Amino acid sequence: MNGVLAVYQKELLSYFKSPIAYFVLAVFLVGTGYFFTYNMFLTGSASMTETFRNMGILLLTVSPLVSMRLFSAEYSGRTMELLMTLPLKPWEIVLGKFLGAVTILLLMTAGTLIDLVPLYLFGNPQTTTIIAGYIGFLLLGMASIAVGQFFSALTRNQIVAALITFPVLLSFWFVGHLQSFQTSYAMRALFGYLSFALHFADFVQGLIRSEGVIFFLIVSTIALTMNAGYLQWRR
Amino acid sequence: MIALESVSKRFGSKTIVHDLTFTVEKGEIVGFLGPNGAGKTTTMRMIAGFTTASSGRITVAGYDMATQNEQAARKIGYMPEHPPLYDTLGVTQYLRFVAKAKGVARSQAKSELDRVATACRLEAVLDKEIYKLSKGYRQRLGLAQALLGKPDVLLLDEPTAGLDPGQIQETREVIRSFGEHHAVLLSTHILPEVTLICQRVAIISQGRLLAVDSPSGLQRASEQTNRVTLIATAPAEALRSELLSLAGVIAAAIHEVPGNARVLNVECQTDAREGVEAAIARAVAGRWELHRLERQQPTLENIFLRYVSRAAAEAGAQ
Repeated sequence: MNGVLAVYQKELLSYFKSPIAYFVLAVFLVGTGYFFTYNMFLTGSASMTETFRNMGILLLTVSPLVSMRLFSAEYSGRTMELLMTLPLKPWEIVLGKFLGAVTILLLMTAGTLIDLVPLYLFGNPQTTTIIAGYIGFLLLGMASIAVGQFFSALTRNQIVAALITFPVLLSFWFVGHLQSFQTSYAMRALFGYLSFALHFADFVQGLIRSEGVIFFLIVSTIALTMNAGYLQWRR
Repeated sequence: MIALESVSKRFGSKTIVHDLTFTVEKGEIVGFLGPNGAGKTTTMRMIAGFTTASSGRITVAGYDMATQNEQAARKIGYMPEHPPLYDTLGVTQYLRFVAKAKGVARSQAKSELDRVATACRLEAVLDKEIYKLSKGYRQRLGLAQALLGKPDVLLLDEPTAGLDPGQIQETREVIRSFGEHHAVLLSTHILPEVTLICQRVAIISQGRLLAVDSPSGLQRASEQTNRVTLIATAPAEALRSELLSLAGVIAAAIHEVPGNARVLNVECQTDAREGVEAAIARAVAGRWELHRLERQQPTLENIFLRYVSRAAAEAGAQ
Protein backbone atom coordinates (compact mmCIF):
# COMPACT_ATOMS: atom_id res chain seq x y z
CA MET A 1 0.00 0.00 0.00
CA ASN A 2 3.00 2.24 0.63
CA GLY A 3 3.84 1.91 -3.04
CA VAL A 4 0.38 3.09 -4.07
CA LEU A 5 0.73 6.08 -1.78
CA ALA A 6 4.18 6.95 -3.15
CA VAL A 7 2.95 6.87 -6.74
CA TYR A 8 -0.24 8.74 -5.81
CA GLN A 9 1.66 11.60 -4.17
CA LYS A 10 4.03 11.86 -7.08
CA GLU A 11 1.13 12.00 -9.56
CA LEU A 12 -0.61 14.76 -7.63
CA LEU A 13 2.58 16.79 -7.44
CA SER A 14 3.11 16.32 -11.17
CA TYR A 15 -0.43 17.39 -11.99
CA PHE A 16 -0.14 20.61 -10.07
CA LYS A 17 3.33 21.44 -11.25
CA SER A 18 2.23 21.33 -14.86
CA PRO A 19 -0.46 23.56 -16.36
CA ILE A 20 -2.68 20.61 -17.33
CA ALA A 21 -4.61 20.32 -14.07
CA TYR A 22 -5.32 24.05 -13.93
CA PHE A 23 -6.31 24.13 -17.57
CA VAL A 24 -8.66 21.16 -17.27
CA LEU A 25 -10.22 22.52 -14.09
CA ALA A 26 -10.72 25.94 -15.67
CA VAL A 27 -12.22 24.61 -18.91
CA PHE A 28 -14.50 22.25 -17.07
CA LEU A 29 -15.73 24.78 -14.54
CA VAL A 30 -16.27 27.53 -17.08
CA GLY A 31 -18.15 25.05 -19.30
CA THR A 32 -20.26 23.75 -16.44
CA GLY A 33 -20.97 27.27 -15.22
CA TYR A 34 -22.15 28.26 -18.68
CA PHE A 35 -24.44 25.23 -19.04
CA PHE A 36 -25.78 25.74 -15.54
CA THR A 37 -26.68 29.38 -16.14
CA TYR A 38 -28.13 28.62 -19.55
CA ASN A 39 -30.26 25.75 -18.28
CA MET A 40 -31.47 27.71 -15.29
CA PHE A 41 -32.78 30.54 -17.42
CA LEU A 42 -34.13 28.21 -20.09
CA THR A 43 -36.07 25.85 -17.87
CA GLY A 44 -36.65 28.11 -14.92
CA SER A 45 -36.64 25.11 -12.62
CA ALA A 46 -34.35 24.56 -9.65
CA SER A 47 -32.81 21.33 -10.87
CA MET A 48 -29.40 20.06 -11.91
CA THR A 49 -30.76 17.47 -14.33
CA GLU A 50 -29.94 19.29 -17.57
CA THR A 51 -26.63 20.52 -16.20
CA PHE A 52 -25.61 16.99 -15.25
CA ARG A 53 -26.32 15.81 -18.81
CA ASN A 54 -24.04 18.53 -20.15
CA MET A 55 -21.41 17.81 -17.51
CA GLY A 56 -21.38 14.18 -18.66
CA ILE A 57 -20.56 15.16 -22.25
CA LEU A 58 -18.07 17.76 -21.09
CA LEU A 59 -16.37 15.15 -18.94
CA LEU A 60 -15.89 12.90 -21.98
CA THR A 61 -13.92 15.66 -23.67
CA VAL A 62 -11.76 16.71 -20.71
CA SER A 63 -11.09 13.35 -19.04
CA PRO A 64 -8.71 12.26 -21.85
CA LEU A 65 -6.71 15.39 -21.03
CA VAL A 66 -6.45 14.26 -17.42
CA SER A 67 -5.52 10.66 -18.21
CA MET A 68 -3.29 11.14 -21.28
CA ARG A 69 -0.08 11.90 -19.39
CA LEU A 70 -0.35 9.10 -16.82
CA PHE A 71 1.89 6.64 -18.67
CA SER A 72 2.82 8.43 -21.91
CA ALA A 73 4.81 10.99 -19.95
CA GLU A 74 6.67 8.19 -18.15
CA TYR A 75 7.71 6.71 -21.49
CA SER A 76 8.71 9.97 -23.12
CA GLY A 77 10.50 11.17 -19.97
CA ARG A 78 12.34 7.83 -19.75
CA THR A 79 11.16 7.41 -16.18
CA MET A 80 9.33 4.16 -16.87
CA GLU A 81 12.62 2.39 -16.34
CA LEU A 82 12.72 3.72 -12.79
CA LEU A 83 9.09 2.99 -12.07
CA MET A 84 9.33 -0.60 -13.28
CA THR A 85 12.55 -1.36 -11.41
CA LEU A 86 11.47 0.11 -8.08
CA PRO A 87 9.97 -2.44 -5.70
CA LEU A 88 6.47 -1.66 -6.95
CA LYS A 89 3.95 -4.16 -8.25
CA PRO A 90 2.30 -3.19 -11.55
CA TRP A 91 -1.08 -2.89 -9.84
CA GLU A 92 0.39 -0.50 -7.29
CA ILE A 93 1.62 1.77 -10.06
CA VAL A 94 -1.70 1.56 -11.89
CA LEU A 95 -3.77 2.20 -8.77
CA GLY A 96 -1.58 5.06 -7.55
CA LYS A 97 -1.88 6.80 -10.89
CA PHE A 98 -5.59 6.15 -11.10
CA LEU A 99 -6.20 7.64 -7.66
CA GLY A 100 -4.12 10.67 -8.61
CA ALA A 101 -6.29 11.31 -11.66
CA VAL A 102 -9.47 10.61 -9.68
CA THR A 103 -8.39 13.30 -7.23
CA ILE A 104 -8.40 15.78 -10.11
CA LEU A 105 -11.87 14.50 -10.98
CA LEU A 106 -12.96 15.11 -7.38
CA LEU A 107 -11.64 18.65 -7.54
CA MET A 108 -13.52 19.22 -10.79
CA THR A 109 -16.66 17.90 -9.14
CA ALA A 110 -16.14 19.97 -6.01
CA GLY A 111 -15.84 23.07 -8.16
CA THR A 112 -19.35 22.59 -9.50
CA LEU A 113 -20.81 22.56 -6.01
CA ILE A 114 -20.93 26.35 -6.19
CA ASP A 115 -23.79 25.98 -8.66
CA LEU A 116 -25.86 24.60 -5.81
CA VAL A 117 -25.70 27.87 -3.89
CA PRO A 118 -28.16 29.81 -6.11
CA LEU A 119 -30.17 26.63 -6.54
CA TYR A 120 -30.81 26.34 -2.81
CA LEU A 121 -31.04 30.11 -2.29
CA PHE A 122 -33.74 30.75 -4.85
CA GLY A 123 -35.42 27.39 -5.26
CA ASN A 124 -36.25 24.15 -3.62
CA PRO A 125 -34.24 21.47 -5.41
CA GLN A 126 -34.48 17.75 -4.71
CA THR A 127 -31.38 16.92 -2.71
CA THR A 128 -31.53 13.16 -3.33
CA THR A 129 -31.67 13.66 -7.09
CA ILE A 130 -28.66 15.93 -6.95
CA ILE A 131 -26.71 13.44 -4.84
CA ALA A 132 -27.58 10.64 -7.25
CA GLY A 133 -26.42 12.81 -10.13
CA TYR A 134 -23.09 13.50 -8.47
CA ILE A 135 -22.55 9.83 -7.70
CA GLY A 136 -23.28 8.99 -11.32
CA PHE A 137 -20.93 11.72 -12.50
CA LEU A 138 -18.08 10.42 -10.33
CA LEU A 139 -18.62 6.84 -11.47
CA LEU A 140 -18.71 7.95 -15.11
CA GLY A 141 -15.52 9.93 -14.51
CA MET A 142 -13.73 7.00 -12.90
CA ALA A 143 -14.59 4.71 -15.79
CA SER A 144 -13.47 7.35 -18.33
CA ILE A 145 -10.17 7.90 -16.56
CA ALA A 146 -9.52 4.16 -16.24
CA VAL A 147 -10.09 3.71 -19.97
CA GLY A 148 -7.91 6.71 -20.79
CA GLN A 149 -5.18 5.51 -18.46
CA PHE A 150 -5.07 2.17 -20.27
CA PHE A 151 -4.63 3.88 -23.64
CA SER A 152 -1.99 6.14 -22.16
CA ALA A 153 0.03 3.01 -21.36
CA LEU A 154 0.02 2.05 -25.05
CA THR A 155 1.82 5.09 -26.45
CA ARG A 156 4.62 7.43 -25.55
CA ASN A 157 2.78 10.32 -27.14
CA GLN A 158 0.30 12.07 -24.86
CA ILE A 159 -1.65 13.58 -27.76
CA VAL A 160 -2.06 10.17 -29.37
CA ALA A 161 -3.26 8.77 -26.04
CA ALA A 162 -5.91 11.49 -25.81
CA LEU A 163 -6.86 11.11 -29.47
CA ILE A 164 -7.49 7.38 -29.02
CA THR A 165 -9.28 7.75 -25.72
CA PHE A 166 -11.73 10.37 -26.89
CA PRO A 167 -13.45 8.38 -29.69
CA VAL A 168 -13.49 5.26 -27.50
CA LEU A 169 -15.29 7.12 -24.73
CA LEU A 170 -17.58 8.68 -27.29
CA SER A 171 -18.46 5.22 -28.62
CA PHE A 172 -19.28 4.05 -25.11
CA TRP A 173 -21.47 7.11 -24.74
CA PHE A 174 -23.42 6.72 -27.96
CA VAL A 175 -23.48 2.94 -28.29
CA GLY A 176 -27.01 2.97 -26.84
CA HIS A 177 -28.28 4.61 -30.02
CA LEU A 178 -27.48 1.43 -31.93
CA GLN A 179 -30.30 -0.27 -30.02
CA SER A 180 -32.87 1.15 -32.42
CA PHE A 181 -31.31 -0.66 -35.36
CA GLN A 182 -31.28 -4.11 -33.71
CA THR A 183 -34.03 -6.66 -34.04
CA SER A 184 -32.47 -9.27 -31.76
CA TYR A 185 -33.26 -8.76 -28.11
CA ALA A 186 -29.80 -9.85 -27.01
CA MET A 187 -28.08 -7.22 -29.15
CA ARG A 188 -30.42 -4.51 -27.93
CA ALA A 189 -29.73 -5.51 -24.35
CA LEU A 190 -26.00 -5.58 -24.96
CA PHE A 191 -25.85 -2.15 -26.58
CA GLY A 192 -28.07 -0.79 -23.84
CA TYR A 193 -25.87 -2.27 -21.17
CA LEU A 194 -22.65 -0.91 -22.66
CA SER A 195 -23.95 2.62 -22.94
CA PHE A 196 -22.34 5.16 -20.65
CA ALA A 197 -25.15 7.57 -21.52
CA LEU A 198 -28.02 5.28 -20.55
CA HIS A 199 -26.51 4.31 -17.22
CA PHE A 200 -25.62 7.90 -16.50
CA ALA A 201 -29.16 9.00 -17.42
CA ASP A 202 -30.55 6.87 -14.59
CA PHE A 203 -28.36 8.65 -12.06
CA VAL A 204 -29.30 12.04 -13.45
CA GLN A 205 -32.96 11.14 -13.00
CA GLY A 206 -32.21 10.47 -9.39
CA LEU A 207 -32.01 6.69 -9.62
CA ILE A 208 -29.04 4.97 -8.04
CA ARG A 209 -29.36 1.53 -9.55
CA SER A 210 -26.97 -1.18 -8.48
CA GLU A 211 -26.77 -2.20 -12.14
CA GLY A 212 -25.39 1.22 -13.05
CA VAL A 213 -22.98 1.37 -10.12
CA ILE A 214 -21.69 -2.10 -10.87
CA PHE A 215 -21.40 -1.32 -14.59
CA PHE A 216 -19.12 1.67 -14.11
CA LEU A 217 -17.08 -0.17 -11.48
CA ILE A 218 -16.69 -3.15 -13.80
CA VAL A 219 -15.53 -0.95 -16.68
CA SER A 220 -12.98 0.73 -14.37
CA THR A 221 -11.77 -2.60 -13.00
CA ILE A 222 -11.40 -4.18 -16.42
CA ALA A 223 -9.50 -1.17 -17.78
CA LEU A 224 -7.19 -1.02 -14.76
CA THR A 225 -6.59 -4.78 -14.82
CA MET A 226 -5.75 -4.64 -18.52
CA ASN A 227 -3.44 -1.75 -17.72
CA ALA A 228 -1.56 -3.68 -15.02
CA GLY A 229 -1.53 -6.80 -17.20
CA TYR A 230 -0.04 -4.80 -20.04
CA LEU A 231 2.76 -3.45 -17.83
CA GLN A 232 3.55 -6.98 -16.69
CA TRP A 233 3.50 -8.29 -20.25
CA ARG A 234 5.72 -5.47 -21.46
CA ARG A 235 8.64 -6.53 -19.26
CA MET B 1 25.17 -11.24 -5.52
CA ILE B 2 24.50 -11.07 -9.24
CA ALA B 3 24.60 -14.27 -11.26
CA LEU B 4 23.79 -14.71 -14.94
CA GLU B 5 23.51 -18.22 -16.34
CA SER B 6 23.37 -18.49 -20.15
CA VAL B 7 21.16 -15.45 -20.42
CA SER B 8 19.85 -14.52 -23.85
CA LYS B 9 17.52 -11.81 -25.02
CA ARG B 10 15.69 -11.89 -28.32
CA PHE B 11 13.48 -9.23 -29.82
CA GLY B 12 11.50 -10.98 -32.52
CA SER B 13 14.00 -12.89 -34.61
CA LYS B 14 16.86 -10.67 -33.55
CA THR B 15 19.08 -11.85 -30.74
CA ILE B 16 20.52 -8.93 -28.82
CA VAL B 17 22.27 -10.85 -26.07
CA HIS B 18 23.75 -14.32 -26.57
CA ASP B 19 24.28 -16.77 -23.79
CA LEU B 20 25.84 -14.51 -21.15
CA THR B 21 27.29 -16.12 -18.04
CA PHE B 22 29.09 -14.21 -15.33
CA THR B 23 28.81 -13.26 -11.68
CA VAL B 24 29.43 -10.22 -9.52
CA GLU B 25 30.34 -10.96 -5.91
CA LYS B 26 29.82 -8.86 -2.83
CA GLY B 27 32.56 -6.27 -2.32
CA GLU B 28 33.44 -6.30 -5.98
CA ILE B 29 33.15 -3.73 -8.75
CA VAL B 30 32.86 -5.34 -12.15
CA GLY B 31 33.25 -3.28 -15.29
CA PHE B 32 30.94 -4.12 -18.14
CA LEU B 33 32.79 -3.00 -21.18
CA GLY B 34 31.70 -2.87 -24.76
CA PRO B 35 31.14 -0.60 -27.73
CA ASN B 36 27.80 1.15 -28.18
CA GLY B 37 25.11 -1.27 -29.23
CA ALA B 38 26.90 -4.29 -27.77
CA GLY B 39 24.00 -5.22 -25.53
CA LYS B 40 25.22 -3.61 -22.31
CA THR B 41 22.06 -1.64 -21.64
CA THR B 42 19.81 -4.58 -22.51
CA THR B 43 21.76 -6.76 -20.07
CA MET B 44 21.58 -4.12 -17.35
CA ARG B 45 17.85 -3.83 -17.91
CA MET B 46 17.40 -7.56 -17.57
CA ILE B 47 19.35 -7.63 -14.32
CA ALA B 48 17.37 -4.65 -13.03
CA GLY B 49 14.11 -6.36 -13.92
CA PHE B 50 12.95 -3.80 -16.47
CA THR B 51 12.83 -6.52 -19.11
CA THR B 52 12.91 -10.27 -18.74
CA ALA B 53 15.45 -12.62 -20.27
CA SER B 54 14.23 -14.72 -23.20
CA SER B 55 16.16 -17.68 -21.83
CA GLY B 56 18.65 -18.40 -19.10
CA ARG B 57 18.50 -17.43 -15.47
CA ILE B 58 19.36 -14.23 -13.60
CA THR B 59 19.55 -14.20 -9.84
CA VAL B 60 20.13 -11.10 -7.76
CA ALA B 61 20.80 -11.45 -4.02
CA GLY B 62 19.51 -15.00 -4.30
CA TYR B 63 16.21 -14.04 -5.94
CA ASP B 64 15.27 -15.29 -9.37
CA MET B 65 14.46 -12.26 -11.52
CA ALA B 66 11.88 -14.23 -13.51
CA THR B 67 9.70 -15.06 -10.52
CA GLN B 68 10.84 -12.98 -7.56
CA ASN B 69 11.74 -9.70 -9.25
CA GLU B 70 9.89 -7.72 -6.62
CA GLN B 71 11.88 -9.07 -3.68
CA ALA B 72 15.01 -8.60 -5.77
CA ALA B 73 14.02 -5.01 -6.58
CA ARG B 74 14.41 -4.13 -2.89
CA LYS B 75 18.07 -5.14 -3.12
CA ILE B 76 18.85 -3.31 -6.35
CA GLY B 77 19.85 0.27 -6.94
CA TYR B 78 19.67 0.97 -10.66
CA MET B 79 20.89 3.97 -12.53
CA PRO B 80 19.73 3.71 -16.16
CA GLU B 81 21.68 5.18 -19.03
CA HIS B 82 19.40 8.23 -19.07
CA PRO B 83 18.83 9.48 -15.53
CA PRO B 84 15.13 8.76 -14.91
CA LEU B 85 14.11 12.14 -13.54
CA TYR B 86 10.73 13.84 -13.32
CA ASP B 87 11.26 17.33 -14.66
CA THR B 88 8.08 18.53 -13.02
CA LEU B 89 9.31 17.69 -9.51
CA GLY B 90 11.83 19.33 -7.22
CA VAL B 91 15.01 17.47 -6.28
CA THR B 92 13.88 16.71 -2.72
CA GLN B 93 10.39 15.73 -3.82
CA TYR B 94 11.90 13.33 -6.30
CA LEU B 95 14.22 11.71 -3.79
CA ARG B 96 11.36 11.43 -1.30
CA PHE B 97 9.25 9.67 -3.89
CA VAL B 98 11.97 7.15 -4.68
CA ALA B 99 12.70 6.58 -0.98
CA LYS B 100 9.05 5.96 -0.29
CA ALA B 101 8.66 3.62 -3.25
CA LYS B 102 11.70 1.70 -2.01
CA GLY B 103 10.02 1.32 1.35
CA VAL B 104 12.43 3.49 3.32
CA ALA B 105 10.73 4.10 6.67
CA ARG B 106 9.44 7.61 7.22
CA SER B 107 11.65 8.02 10.30
CA GLN B 108 14.78 7.21 8.31
CA ALA B 109 13.86 9.04 5.13
CA LYS B 110 15.44 12.32 6.21
CA SER B 111 18.81 10.84 7.17
CA GLU B 112 18.78 8.63 4.07
CA LEU B 113 18.19 11.66 1.86
CA ASP B 114 20.99 13.54 3.59
CA ARG B 115 23.32 10.59 3.16
CA VAL B 116 22.85 10.25 -0.60
CA ALA B 117 22.78 14.03 -1.10
CA THR B 118 26.16 14.29 0.62
CA ALA B 119 27.61 11.30 -1.19
CA CYS B 120 26.58 12.71 -4.56
CA ARG B 121 27.29 16.37 -3.66
CA LEU B 122 23.72 17.47 -4.23
CA GLU B 123 23.41 19.73 -1.17
CA ALA B 124 23.43 22.89 -3.28
CA VAL B 125 20.48 21.90 -5.45
CA LEU B 126 18.13 20.19 -2.99
CA ASP B 127 15.64 23.05 -3.24
CA LYS B 128 15.82 23.33 -7.02
CA GLU B 129 13.44 22.11 -9.66
CA ILE B 130 14.82 19.18 -11.63
CA TYR B 131 14.30 20.79 -15.04
CA LYS B 132 16.70 23.56 -14.01
CA LEU B 133 19.58 21.19 -13.23
CA SER B 134 22.72 21.00 -15.32
CA LYS B 135 23.71 17.76 -17.01
CA GLY B 136 26.21 16.97 -14.27
CA TYR B 137 23.66 17.42 -11.50
CA ARG B 138 21.08 15.36 -13.39
CA GLN B 139 23.60 12.55 -13.65
CA ARG B 140 24.41 12.76 -9.95
CA LEU B 141 20.75 12.85 -9.00
CA GLY B 142 20.30 9.70 -11.07
CA LEU B 143 23.09 8.11 -9.03
CA ALA B 144 21.63 9.40 -5.76
CA GLN B 145 18.27 7.75 -6.35
CA ALA B 146 20.05 4.46 -7.02
CA LEU B 147 21.90 4.73 -3.68
CA LEU B 148 18.70 5.38 -1.71
CA GLY B 149 17.70 2.57 0.60
CA LYS B 150 21.23 1.10 0.80
CA PRO B 151 20.77 -1.57 -1.87
CA ASP B 152 23.07 -4.60 -1.84
CA VAL B 153 23.52 -4.46 -5.58
CA LEU B 154 24.25 -1.39 -7.63
CA LEU B 155 23.75 -1.36 -11.39
CA LEU B 156 25.19 1.69 -13.08
CA ASP B 157 24.74 2.23 -16.79
CA GLU B 158 27.45 4.66 -17.90
CA PRO B 159 27.37 6.69 -14.68
CA THR B 160 30.03 9.20 -15.67
CA ALA B 161 28.71 10.01 -19.14
CA GLY B 162 28.45 13.74 -19.65
CA LEU B 163 30.34 14.76 -16.54
CA ASP B 164 33.32 17.09 -16.44
CA PRO B 165 36.68 15.68 -15.27
CA GLY B 166 36.25 16.87 -11.69
CA GLN B 167 32.79 15.37 -11.43
CA ILE B 168 33.99 12.12 -12.98
CA GLN B 169 36.64 11.91 -10.27
CA GLU B 170 34.05 12.48 -7.54
CA THR B 171 31.59 10.02 -8.99
CA ARG B 172 34.27 7.34 -9.22
CA GLU B 173 35.10 7.97 -5.58
CA VAL B 174 31.47 7.44 -4.63
CA ILE B 175 31.30 4.22 -6.63
CA ARG B 176 34.60 2.98 -5.25
CA SER B 177 33.54 3.54 -1.66
CA PHE B 178 30.24 1.86 -2.35
CA GLY B 179 31.94 -1.12 -3.95
CA GLU B 180 33.74 -2.04 -0.77
CA HIS B 181 30.62 -3.49 0.81
CA HIS B 182 28.32 -4.09 -2.12
CA ALA B 183 28.22 -5.69 -5.52
CA VAL B 184 28.56 -3.14 -8.31
CA LEU B 185 28.15 -3.71 -12.01
CA LEU B 186 29.28 -0.71 -13.98
CA SER B 187 28.77 -0.44 -17.68
CA THR B 188 31.01 1.87 -19.61
CA HIS B 189 32.90 2.34 -22.81
CA ILE B 190 35.54 4.44 -21.09
CA LEU B 191 38.52 2.15 -20.66
CA PRO B 192 40.56 4.04 -18.05
CA GLU B 193 37.50 4.01 -15.84
CA VAL B 194 37.59 0.26 -15.77
CA THR B 195 41.29 0.04 -14.96
CA LEU B 196 40.87 2.63 -12.22
CA ILE B 197 37.99 1.28 -10.22
CA CYS B 198 37.10 -2.24 -11.32
CA GLN B 199 38.45 -5.49 -9.90
CA ARG B 200 37.21 -7.42 -12.89
CA VAL B 201 36.10 -6.65 -16.40
CA ALA B 202 33.53 -8.35 -18.58
CA ILE B 203 33.97 -7.52 -22.24
CA ILE B 204 30.93 -7.77 -24.43
CA SER B 205 30.52 -7.21 -28.14
CA GLN B 206 27.56 -7.90 -30.39
CA GLY B 207 25.78 -9.44 -27.46
CA ARG B 208 28.49 -12.01 -26.73
CA LEU B 209 30.76 -12.17 -23.75
CA LEU B 210 34.34 -12.13 -25.00
CA ALA B 211 36.28 -12.28 -21.76
CA VAL B 212 35.98 -11.89 -18.01
CA ASP B 213 39.20 -11.14 -16.14
CA SER B 214 40.97 -8.58 -14.03
CA PRO B 215 42.27 -5.58 -15.98
CA SER B 216 45.86 -6.75 -15.45
CA GLY B 217 44.94 -10.35 -16.24
CA LEU B 218 43.54 -9.22 -19.55
CA GLN B 219 46.78 -7.44 -20.28
CA ARG B 220 48.86 -10.51 -19.46
CA ALA B 221 46.59 -12.72 -21.49
CA SER B 222 46.80 -10.59 -24.57
CA GLU B 223 49.35 -11.82 -27.09
CA GLN B 224 49.82 -8.36 -28.37
CA THR B 225 53.19 -7.75 -29.94
CA ASN B 226 55.00 -5.52 -27.53
CA ARG B 227 56.34 -2.14 -28.38
CA VAL B 228 59.55 -0.54 -27.20
CA THR B 229 60.16 3.11 -27.93
CA LEU B 230 63.47 4.90 -27.72
CA ILE B 231 64.95 8.29 -28.42
CA ALA B 232 68.53 8.41 -29.55
CA THR B 233 71.02 10.62 -31.39
CA ALA B 234 72.24 8.47 -34.26
CA PRO B 235 72.30 8.13 -38.07
CA ALA B 236 68.92 6.76 -39.10
CA GLU B 237 69.90 3.92 -41.45
CA ALA B 238 72.67 2.59 -39.28
CA LEU B 239 70.39 2.62 -36.25
CA ARG B 240 67.67 0.80 -38.12
CA SER B 241 69.88 -2.00 -39.34
CA GLU B 242 71.46 -2.31 -35.92
CA LEU B 243 68.05 -2.66 -34.26
CA LEU B 244 66.72 -5.11 -36.81
CA SER B 245 69.76 -7.32 -36.35
CA LEU B 246 68.79 -7.86 -32.70
CA ALA B 247 66.90 -10.99 -31.81
CA GLY B 248 63.27 -10.24 -31.00
CA VAL B 249 62.94 -7.01 -32.93
CA ILE B 250 60.51 -7.39 -35.79
CA ALA B 251 60.20 -3.88 -37.07
CA ALA B 252 61.52 -0.42 -36.34
CA ALA B 253 59.79 2.77 -37.41
CA ILE B 254 62.11 5.78 -37.28
CA HIS B 255 60.92 9.37 -37.08
CA GLU B 256 63.05 12.45 -36.88
CA VAL B 257 62.35 14.62 -33.89
CA PRO B 258 61.17 17.94 -35.35
CA GLY B 259 63.79 20.64 -35.17
CA ASN B 260 66.73 18.33 -34.69
CA ALA B 261 67.49 15.97 -37.55
CA ARG B 262 70.06 14.02 -35.55
CA VAL B 263 67.68 13.02 -32.73
CA LEU B 264 65.53 10.06 -33.69
CA ASN B 265 62.32 8.73 -32.23
CA VAL B 266 62.11 4.98 -32.82
CA GLU B 267 59.25 2.59 -32.34
CA CYS B 268 60.27 -1.07 -32.26
CA GLN B 269 57.85 -3.97 -32.57
CA THR B 270 59.02 -7.00 -30.71
CA ASP B 271 57.70 -10.51 -30.24
CA ALA B 272 59.92 -11.22 -27.27
CA ARG B 273 58.31 -10.80 -23.88
CA GLU B 274 61.41 -9.71 -21.99
CA GLY B 275 65.06 -8.96 -22.38
CA VAL B 276 64.67 -6.91 -25.52
CA GLU B 277 65.12 -3.57 -23.78
CA ALA B 278 68.43 -4.61 -22.36
CA ALA B 279 69.68 -5.80 -25.76
CA ILE B 280 68.58 -2.57 -27.43
CA ALA B 281 70.17 -0.50 -24.70
CA ARG B 282 73.51 -2.29 -25.07
CA ALA B 283 73.50 -2.07 -28.87
CA VAL B 284 72.59 1.59 -29.07
CA ALA B 285 74.43 3.01 -26.08
CA GLY B 286 77.67 1.36 -27.20
CA ARG B 287 77.85 3.32 -30.45
CA TRP B 288 75.54 6.33 -30.14
CA GLU B 289 73.79 8.44 -27.57
CA LEU B 290 70.63 6.93 -25.98
CA HIS B 291 68.25 9.45 -24.34
CA ARG B 292 65.28 7.38 -23.44
CA LEU B 293 64.08 3.80 -23.64
CA GLU B 294 60.77 2.41 -22.54
CA ARG B 295 58.49 -0.53 -23.01
CA GLN B 296 54.90 0.38 -23.86
CA GLN B 297 52.37 -1.50 -21.78
CA PRO B 298 49.67 -2.97 -23.95
CA THR B 299 46.72 -0.71 -23.20
CA LEU B 300 43.29 -1.98 -22.41
CA GLU B 301 42.20 -0.07 -25.45
CA ASN B 302 44.25 -2.30 -27.70
CA ILE B 303 43.17 -5.43 -25.89
CA PHE B 304 39.58 -4.41 -26.18
CA LEU B 305 39.84 -3.60 -29.86
CA ARG B 306 41.61 -6.89 -30.44
CA TYR B 307 38.85 -8.88 -28.74
CA VAL B 308 36.17 -6.99 -30.57
CA SER B 309 37.78 -7.24 -33.98
CA ARG B 310 38.55 -10.92 -33.47
CA ALA B 311 34.93 -11.55 -32.57
CA ALA B 312 33.81 -9.61 -35.62
CA ALA B 313 36.17 -11.61 -37.83
CA GLU B 314 34.91 -14.89 -36.42
CA ALA B 315 31.34 -13.80 -36.96
CA GLY B 316 32.22 -12.86 -40.55
CA ALA B 317 33.89 -16.24 -41.16
CA GLN B 318 30.82 -18.19 -40.09
